[in-house]
Order: sequence, then structure tokens, then C-alpha cells
Amino acid sequence: MRRHFFGMMMTVSASLNGAEQRRPSRFGRMLEDRLPYLIVAPAILILLLVGLFPLIYSLIVSFQRITMTENDTSFVGILNYAELFRDTRLWATLGHTAIITAIALPLELLIGFLMAQLFIDRMPGRQIFVALLVLPTVISPIVAGATWRLMFDVRFGPIGQVLSFIAGEPVRILWTVNPAYVYPAIIICEVWQWSPFMFLLLLAALSNVDQSQLEAAEIDGASYFRVLRAIVLPAIAPVIAVACLIRGLDLVRIFDIIWALTEGGPGSMTETISLYTYVQGFSQFETSYTAAISFVVIVLLTLITTLVLKRMELVR
Amino acid sequence: MKFRTFLGAVAVLVLAASSAPAADKDAADTAVEAAKKYAGTTISIVWEAGLQSLDPLNYSGPQWEKLTGIKVKVVEVPTDQMFTKIMQDFKSGAGAYDALNVIPSWMPDLARAGALEPLDKYVDKFSYRDELQDIAAAYRDNQMQYDGKIYGFPDDGDVMLLYYRKDIFEDPKMKDEFKAKFGYELAPPKDWKQFDQIGQFITDKMAPKVYGAGFFRTAPYPQYMFQERFRMEGGKFFNANTMKATVNGDAGVRVFKEMLAENKFMPPGVEQWNFVDNLAAFLQGTTAMTISWPPYGRWAAGYGSGEEALKWVPKSQVAGKVGYALTPLGRPELGVGFDLSVSATSKNKEAAYLFIQWLNSKKTSLERVQLPYTLRDPFRLSHYASEKYRALWPDAPAYLDTIKKSGEKGLLDLSLLQQDKYDEAMTKAISSLWAGEDPKAILDRMAQQFDAITEKVGIENQKAVYKVWAAKPGAYPQ
Repeated sequence: MRRHFFGMMMTVSASLNGAEQRRPSRFGRMLEDRLPYLIVAPAILILLLVGLFPLIYSLIVSFQRITMTENDTSFVGILNYAELFRDTRLWATLGHTAIITAIALPLELLIGFLMAQLFIDRMPGRQIFVALLVLPTVISPIVAGATWRLMFDVRFGPIGQVLSFIAGEPVRILWTVNPAYVYPAIIICEVWQWSPFMFLLLLAALSNVDQSQLEAAEIDGASYFRVLRAIVLPAIAPVIAVACLIRGLDLVRIFDIIWALTEGGPGSMTETISLYTYVQGFSQFETSYTAAISFVVIVLLTLITTLVLKRMELVR
Repeated sequence: MKFRTFLGAVAVLVLAASSAPAADKDAADTAVEAAKKYAGTTISIVWEAGLQSLDPLNYSGPQWEKLTGIKVKVVEVPTDQMFTKIMQDFKSGAGAYDALNVIPSWMPDLARAGALEPLDKYVDKFSYRDELQDIAAAYRDNQMQYDGKIYGFPDDGDVMLLYYRKDIFEDPKMKDEFKAKFGYELAPPKDWKQFDQIGQFITDKMAPKVYGAGFFRTAPYPQYMFQERFRMEGGKFFNANTMKATVNGDAGVRVFKEMLAENKFMPPGVEQWNFVDNLAAFLQGTTAMTISWPPYGRWAAGYGSGEEALKWVPKSQVAGKVGYALTPLGRPELGVGFDLSVSATSKNKEAAYLFIQWLNSKKTSLERVQLPYTLRDPFRLSHYASEKYRALWPDAPAYLDTIKKSGEKGLLDLSLLQQDKYDEAMTKAISSLWAGEDPKAILDRMAQQFDAITEKVGIENQKAVYKVWAAKPGAYPQ
């Protein structure tokens, strides 16, 4: 077998190196055509096993009646999918996810961009400041959420104390209980943690904007906003698009911060699709229904991503 | 004839003498003797992660190994994942767990699925029935069986107690002013109206130094408080004939309104308090009354304060000043609890059973409930009467007497098929209540959710389980 393999490789080698000297055999030509595929085949097979198998398996599970509390695993057709459409809590969680994404993403982009603008020029201690500013992104989101929960604490939290100092009287805001403040609390935490990520990407992008164009515009007397609109933004647009896509997908999957801050409450007011999926799967033990939710979310996200990429002409 | 009588008498004496050691043997010794044949094996037991698991890790596990040669592998699992892990092991058939800690309200689901081993045959084989009678009736009659079979040994005397500050309640000035205002003595409240009046009175007099009361207001405690108060107000969870939820009636609305109103005389931000927040406030003397599980009483007395594992517990500023009483209306919620069970997929069922019999026995359990660093609470009549336990701190007799009385009158947690879903609906409803939503609207939504869950489980299935649960002595106040 090994001899056969070496023989084959020699034939291939010969066919690759000595192609000009002599005409390769039919087998050699066939091998020459297929060698690249043969080389990548194991990797693709592993990727398919790791990536595609769970997907297919969860698709199969989504057509069954598997729960942790029952022994019945029979196929139920599209029953779980039909139930999705009647599940008002599911649609509410999609709405909550959309609200958080629609507010947090532009804020992160804006703050990240402003920070990048601030640090684009050389200044003393720039590297130290940049390193410090990036720190929140390296913290685990669950730790960030727990930390902000303490910051928002009505008795000991510094936020209440600062607000009380400014107001001159005790300010007692129940950030994680009062419906008026729960979304601001989540968004503050989210923006605090992930704006530096935008900042880093945009700082790199801004550093690569063509200086000669900027200097020419300055000589021509173009205003800051004109330069921004005509030169800077078009130059960094691909980076903005990729950054938005990465953060947008992250925001759709947001879990840890909300879990630590509100656990989806009060009631189900801040429950996002990830939280709901987790609750259905690991607290309510609805295995098949959870698989159906996950599958719909995957399809939804794939569609959105494809559309966004197409629109941004990045698929090329 | 005389000789035959003599022979008969001798035979009886010989028999009596030979059986005497067996009769003297308690359930713990019996388990140890029988388990020695499994020396060298290892059994695994699922135990709640955290303080609870220090019992098998530091005390009972090593002790069992010393006595029998059987090693104990402790699988620590957070409470909210215990059910999932047990079911996953059962469904996969892996048999990774031999013995289990099971929350009694899960028993219908686990027993129906076949995940728990029925224990009756082992109970008889290893003569454990007599010692089971020593378990307080509230736990023994309500938390041990499903469908007439024993699936677990109640092993934790969880019950809610009212803790109050004796120094404030016995202060002559406070007593006089209170009596002048309300016309009755300042004493542990007999009902929720008294609780509200006393709480408000103390807050008016002593806040912000001391508030009238404080509660653990985040999940899961408030739903146990709701379950207790709702039933004491005459509420029923379901119409037993139709299985339609009836939580949104007048009783439910009244309880929700009262619970919300009580926050006003509690410390600011009480809506966010968890177990530790509430414990810290009471131990530091910031609140004059609270309701919680039995460990609060031990820690308030300073019991176990030198333990490394209890370093997170704030040093009690109220040791010697805490009184114990039944919760208002006198029928406290049992609130969670733990049973010891054997996994149906275990490959070492008998060894696992013998371990849990030994753990649960009179002799071993008395030592375990006195471990200062774990959360196991007294659950046997012999625990309540133990002279050793009663001497642990000056107020320990009053503490044990109150636990005993509370246990006798305790109300069962609702326990149906897929109980977690009903619990989640209650928990979410209460968090909406703290957020200021209309109580009636919240309860209507909760009733709808209950109905949807029941429908999904199957109305007839659930009706049968509810009927069994509702017939138990601790389900509804008689």
C-alpha cells in the first residue's frame, strides 16, 4: 500500500516536474487534475463532520418530539416549526434583540469612531491610553455584566452615589428592576465593553487613509466634514462594514451581559433570542423545540448576513 | 414434658441471644456491614455545588470510605443544572451517577421517566423502615414517595422561619408605643396585617439605621412566599376538575398587592436583594425581621463563624438578639428541600443505596445537620430533640423547637409534571410585580402561561398528578 502510494507520488512528481520533457500517462493526468482535491479532502471532511453534522443533527432533532422529561422521541413533522409561529414570547425576544442591536450598534460605531479620531494623531502616552481603552474587550462579558450590576447597585453602586452627589439628594434608581432603566443599563454595559473593539478597527483603518489626499484637501481648504464625507469615510467603509457585521452578529447573540444584569427581566422584558433559547433548552428541557428555534435563527442570520454582504458588495 | 419445655425455653433464649445484636444494630451500622462486600469500588453521587457539597467532600465521603472501603466521588452540580444532568445521564444510559440529590418537586418527572430506582425492596432488605418513621411527617409523608413507591429519603429540613430582633421587640419604649398605637403587644406577627404594621412601625421609628423587615426578593424565594401566602389566603392553583389555572383570582391579586406594598417599609432597593444581600442586612442588624431557610438562624447566632468555608458570611452583629417564630398565619412553605435517591442507571445500585441509607440514618444525619459549613437542616424528630444540638448555642433549643413546629405545619411546594415551567412563570410574574406592572394583569398572564403548560403536558396526565399532590396533607391548609 505504502509502495503504491510512493509510486503514485513519484508519478505525480514526474508528471508535475517533467511535463515538458514527456507526455504524462492518462493516470498521471487524472491524478494531476485531482491532486489538489485529494490534499484538501481530509480537512474538508473534518470541517464537514465538525460543522455540518451538528447542524444536520439539530435539523433532524427539530422534527422530533424530544424533551428531557419524556421518553417519546417520535417524529412530529413540522409541529415544532408551526409552534414557533404561535409563540408570542419568541417573537417578543426577537423584538428585544432587534432593539438592543439597533441602539447599541450605532452607538458603538460612533463612539469607536470618535475615539479613533481622538487617537489618530501622535500624542504622548498614546500607546498606554490605547491599551487601557481596549481593556474592556478582553474582559469576559459575564464578568462585565456582574461588574456593572454592582456599579448600578442602589445602595453601594458608584453610579447612584455620583448621581446623588450631582442632584444634591439621594437618587435611588433600580437600574435592573425599573422598566424605564433596564434597557439603558444593558446598553451602557454593552457599549462600554465593545466600543473599544470598534475603536481599534477604525484606528487601524484611519491610519491607512491616503495622507496625500488629506493634505491635498487641506491645501484646497476643504472643511473637516467635507474631508470626512469625501475621503475618510469612503476609504474606511469596508472596515466599517466588516466591523458592523461582526458586532451586529455578536449583538444578535447577546447573552452574558443580560444574564448577569437582569436575567431577561423584569418579567421577560429584556429577554433576547439567546436567553430564550437557553431557557427553553436548559431550564424547560424542550430539546426539539430549542433545535427548531436555533435552526430558524441560523437561517435568519444567514439571510441577513448574505443580504448585508451583497449590499456592501463584499461578497466579491 | 418438663424437659421439652426446658428445651423450648433454651431454644428461645438462644434465638433471642443470636438475634439481639441484629436488633441493636441501627440503620447506619447495618448499611456499613452490608456495604463492606463492595470495598474497593467507587460510587458517584450528584450533590448541589457549593457549601452543600462540603458534607460529602469533607465529612461523609471520607468517613464512608474509612468504614467500608468504598470510595465516594462527588459530582458537584449547580442547582439549576441538577435536573438536566440527572436526566441526561439517564437518557444516555451512561450510568455515570450512582446516587443522587433530588429536589422533591422534581420527583414526579424523574420517577415517571424511570430515572429513579424504587427503594422499597432495599428499605426492607436493610431494615430501614423503622428509622424512616423518625423523619418529620411533613417531609416523610410528602417528599418520599411517588405513586405509592419510595423514590428518595428526605434529607434536608428546608422550611421558612421568621427571624426577628428580640432586642427591638422587647424594648419597653417600643412595646409601649406600639401597643398605644395598635392596641396589641409588639410580638412576632400572627398574620400579614400585623407583619405590615410592625414592619412599618419599626421603619418609622428606626430607619435608616434599622428597617422593619427585609426579604430575599429575587428568584427563587419570592415564588415560595407567593405559594405560601396564596394558599393561606384561600387560593387554589387549579380547578381540580378542569385543570384551568385559578391563580388570578382575588386571593392572588390580594397577595401580590400586599407583597408589593411591603417593599415600602423595607430598605431601598430590596427588590434587587438576593439570598446574600438579605442575609447581610439581617446579620448586620439593618433589618428587624426576615423570613428565610434555617441556616440564617445558625449564622445569626454566630454558629460556624470560624469556619473557612463560611468566610463569605458577614460577621453577625445580632448574635443572641435573634428570636425565631412561625411565619405569619403559621403555615410556612417548605421551600425546595433535598431527597437522597439512587439512579436507575447505576451499575452499583446496592452500594449506592447503602451509602444513602447510612447518610440518611439517625446516627449519621445527626452529625451531618450539625456540620456548620453545610446547608443541611434538621429533619428528624431525633434531630429536634438532640441534647447535643440543643447545646450548640444558647438559643438553639428555641431554634429547633421552631423548626419542628414549622415542619409540622409546613406547606408543600407545588409539584407537578414539568414543575420548572410553572416555577419559571411564577418567578417572571413576581419580577414584573417589582417593576410596577398591574398585579391583576400579571396574574392573568401567569394563568394563561399555566394553562399553556398544562395543555402541553396533557390535561389528563397533569390532572392525575395534581390530584395526588393536592391530596397530600401539606398541599393545602386544612
